[in-house]
Amino acid sequence: MAPPWLDVLDETIGACVTHRRPDLEARLREKRAQQLDPKLRVLVVGESKQGKSQLVNALLNAPVCAVGDDITTTVPTFVQHADTPSAALVRNASARGSIFHTPTERIAVPIEQVTKQATAQSQHVVRAEIGIPRALLDSGLVLIDTPGVGDTRSAHTASTFATLMQADAVLLVSDATGELTAAEMTLLKKVMEACPNVTVVVTKIDLVPSWRNVVERNKALLARAGVPAKLIPVSSALRLRAAKTGDQRLNTESGFPELLACVQRDIVASADLLARRAVAVVASSALTQLVTPLREELTAHDSSRTVATISTLQEAQRRVDELRRRSARWQNVLNDEMADLISDVEYDLRDRTRKILREVDKTYDEADPAIGWDKFEQWLEDNLNEAATTNFAWLMERAEWVAAKVAKNFPVYREDLIPGSVLPDDLLEPVSKLEKPKIEPFSISQKLFTGLRGSYGGVLMFGLVTSLAGMPLINVISLGAGALFGGKSILDESDQRLKRRQAAAKAAAQRHVDDFFVKFSKDVRDSARHIQRSLRNHFSTLAEELQETLLESARSAKRAVQDDQTERERRLREGRKELDKLVTLYKRVQQLGGPAMELTA
Amino acid sequence: MTLDRVVWSMLQEALAVYRDSPRATGWLRSHIERYTEPVRVAVAGRARIGKSTVVNALIGDEFVPLNSFVWYRGGTEARAHVFSGPGRPHEVAVGRRGSRNHVEIGQFDRADRVVVEWPARTLRDIVLIDTPSEATPEQVLGEADALLYLMRHVQDDDLKFLQAANDHPIARVANVHTVAVLARADEIGAGRIDALSSAKQIARRYRRDVAVQPLCQNVVSVAGLLAVAAKTLREDEFTALRTLASLGREELEDHLLSADRFVGEQFPLSMEPAVRQALLERFGIFGVRLITALIRQGFDTQVKLTGQLVQRSGLGELRDSIAIHFTERREVLKARSALLALDVLFRMEPRQNARKLMADLERVVASAHDFRELRLVAALQGGRTKLPADLQTEALRLIGAEGTTSLARLGFDYEADPHEQREALLDALVRWQAQAADVHAPNDQRRAAEVVVRTCEGLLPQLY
Repeated sequence: MAPPWLDVLDETIGACVTHRRPDLEARLREKRAQQLDPKLRVLVVGESKQGKSQLVNALLNAPVCAVGDDITTTVPTFVQHADTPSAALVRNASARGSIFHTPTERIAVPIEQVTKQATAQSQHVVRAEIGIPRALLDSGLVLIDTPGVGDTRSAHTASTFATLMQADAVLLVSDATGELTAAEMTLLKKVMEACPNVTVVVTKIDLVPSWRNVVERNKALLARAGVPAKLIPVSSALRLRAAKTGDQRLNTESGFPELLACVQRDIVASADLLARRAVAVVASSALTQLVTPLREELTAHDSSRTVATISTLQEAQRRVDELRRRSARWQNVLNDEMADLISDVEYDLRDRTRKILREVDKTYDEADPAIGWDKFEQWLEDNLNEAATTNFAWLMERAEWVAAKVAKNFPVYREDLIPGSVLPDDLLEPVSKLEKPKIEPFSISQKLFTGLRGSYGGVLMFGLVTSLAGMPLINVISLGAGALFGGKSILDESDQRLKRRQAAAKAAAQRHVDDFFVKFSKDVRDSARHIQRSLRNHFSTLAEELQETLLESARSAKRAVQDDQTERERRLREGRKELDKLVTLYKRVQQLGGPAMELTA
Repeated sequence: MTLDRVVWSMLQEALAVYRDSPRATGWLRSHIERYTEPVRVAVAGRARIGKSTVVNALIGDEFVPLNSFVWYRGGTEARAHVFSGPGRPHEVAVGRRGSRNHVEIGQFDRADRVVVEWPARTLRDIVLIDTPSEATPEQVLGEADALLYLMRHVQDDDLKFLQAANDHPIARVANVHTVAVLARADEIGAGRIDALSSAKQIARRYRRDVAVQPLCQNVVSVAGLLAVAAKTLREDEFTALRTLASLGREELEDHLLSADRFVGEQFPLSMEPAVRQALLERFGIFGVRLITALIRQGFDTQVKLTGQLVQRSGLGELRDSIAIHFTERREVLKARSALLALDVLFRMEPRQNARKLMADLERVVASAHDFRELRLVAALQGGRTKLPADLQTEALRLIGAEGTTSLARLGFDYEADPHEQREALLDALVRWQAQAADVHAPNDQRRAAEVVVRTCEGLLPQLY
């Protein structure tokens, strides 16, 4: 038999369909599919460097997630049960959009290299999956380790929130070195909206002498904010140590038995309750959104002040026109600015690379590439790198400026007008290595040969002259001249070789810089286009939303004006009936959540 | 005229123009007074990041933290005043509580500002302002000339704060006043013994980070607790720590696993739990780990240990940063604050007869050579303008990136007499003039060279 929450959820979805809200419907359907899935996803979230990965490791007693001093986790890591340890990266060629429905490819990797590889190709990887044989995971539990929220590289944060939609329960990690910050409380509330089953885990209690005070203050904070979340203090370091030494007392001290019990009891065992709660939250938020416009329409009908409605209609139409007229402006600004930006950035890059090349030419007018080629290579790499970084930084700076300018030209002001971040993921890829030019060394035997060849002429020339004076062909003078000639030809030859080497080195450097330029300018153009696209999407979504809202109000105003009395009454009746239905459904939804949930209409 | 004098005369002139407005006069007088003071450095950051700890470490004395703006300025004797609401400040006593100093503000439930005068060497060159964590960027920067911003890992909120700090037309052209500090460096890597070198590496990475670089002049890592410990380590604490270090390494490690274990009942040494608790509070678990390790490595006298701790905690680096970026730039920082104040005044009370001053303000901001130098330093260091390597080093030195005295600018490491300096200067001037007139060089290089030439010309009269 289908559980009761499924009926309610289906009915809510039906209501969404009747009221023509495909967006809500899609969200509910996603939730439905996820609730029917036997897996239980427990998401580990928190700000960066709070010990999320270490918590997962300590829960499982295995080093599955890499931990480090600097930012380590870059993609969500799903840890689930498997009979043999295995790991895979899930790549997505388009890498954007919902994780769920786009076709993906899986690449198996060695378990210890998951993080490294994920970081290396983080622009394609959407998640890492690790399977290990653990009793804890046996019941279908999936632990999801996420990148830190609020990190400056916002791609990480975005992927965390994408994962949040699929979570059944959440462990919010905050370390004991300080109480929950304002940012963490905001995060907590945001998490509660998507998934009400949150447990706050206070980590690193081994480090802090006064962790009990911190826990007390955190409890007070949660109570004041009215957040019904449990709070468990743990120490991953102690737990891992206890696992190594088999020290049972230490294990108890680490606080993990309690956390495990909580996971088992509250999350695994009460999967049904969890599902009911989760469904209650999503369904009631959807219903609230359905009820509000309906109620407004009813009140509009009730107060049959036609004059007012007509002026509302005119106002709405005026605003729609205004919006249409002005939306061309921000689009022009965006296009112009981005075109300028691309050409400027490319010019800047060309200028920088040209300067480097000029320097190379100057160097190899004098120096010998046979000596210190490695150093030169390093120098060139460094300079190119620097050029690339500066150029890229400049691009980013300009892009944000463009975003601000477009926002200024946007017809209305809103809080979220400027997108949080326009930075794409790091696009810089390595360029092929600089190939070493062919350096022909001038060996001893070659020198000898060249010397002999040169000296031959000298000996013969002077030998003939002196032979006129009656001396033998080979005498002191002719031998001396031969030595001189030989020496000169050796010098000439080595000079020529040096020139050849320098030319080869210059050509190699030129080729390399060209390669670099082509590759990097492509990258930069791609980034710029990516920025442009995301800005355009951002602003046009805003514009569409705005237009839709205006149109809707215009439409309803129009209806209110056009409807004659009987029609109006019929609508009124229908609306009331519909509203009653929704309210009944809402009540049922609320009952689902049980007495623990407090939902306001 | 030097920037210093120009700004000073502008302040005086403004005072004359606005003499009939009591509010404007009060505002200007406070800024004239501020203009002659040492640089005011505000220490800001989130709650519990360790602002007071860093302030204590810089002063070299421990104060019980208060929940309001606390100013520490130099003085011959310890005194404290509380500013609360309008009216005259009240003098309050500075007492001691255990090993820490305590300002007795008991009778004031709401103090706007507490000013502590304290005899300390650091406070001769700077005024330190400890800020409450809920203070907004405007509150923090309204009174301060420079900012030490404390954070753990750079997060969006931190960047927002720093962006707010630079979000003013005048602030943008003279973006010189922020040093970011990775505080609590000892907590990185869950208090492993190599946490501090890890923290230094992370600081280095942030120094090159595209998002962080334009917002601050430097990023340093500091372990606040250790830094304070280094400055205030007492004889009895040192003895206790040495006793701890005499324990076997493995055995000690077992008891240093967690704070709870360290103060627990089953401790192999006969040492009072209260003593251990005190050690833990003063140094943190990481501090105890590091200090015992150091003692074991042979830094077994208090002097040797203190030296090591100052160096390892990052306090030395922080002090150098303050000296290079704040103390030496006092004149520019002060001018910047004064110009910002004038700008605020002109916006709040625009007047017909202040037109000339407003134009002056704009001119100074756009053309004051000190600001142009700073912009060039930023451009060269940030790579927006690039000179050939040897020229770049010389240019940076001449425009004062390594110090603003003529000796430092000309690169003498000994007391050269004026004649010798003049020779060096003229030589540089001629070369840079040639560079500025070089038609083959790109435009930005020529402009950079022009700034350097102007600097050299400015130095010249000093050497006659």
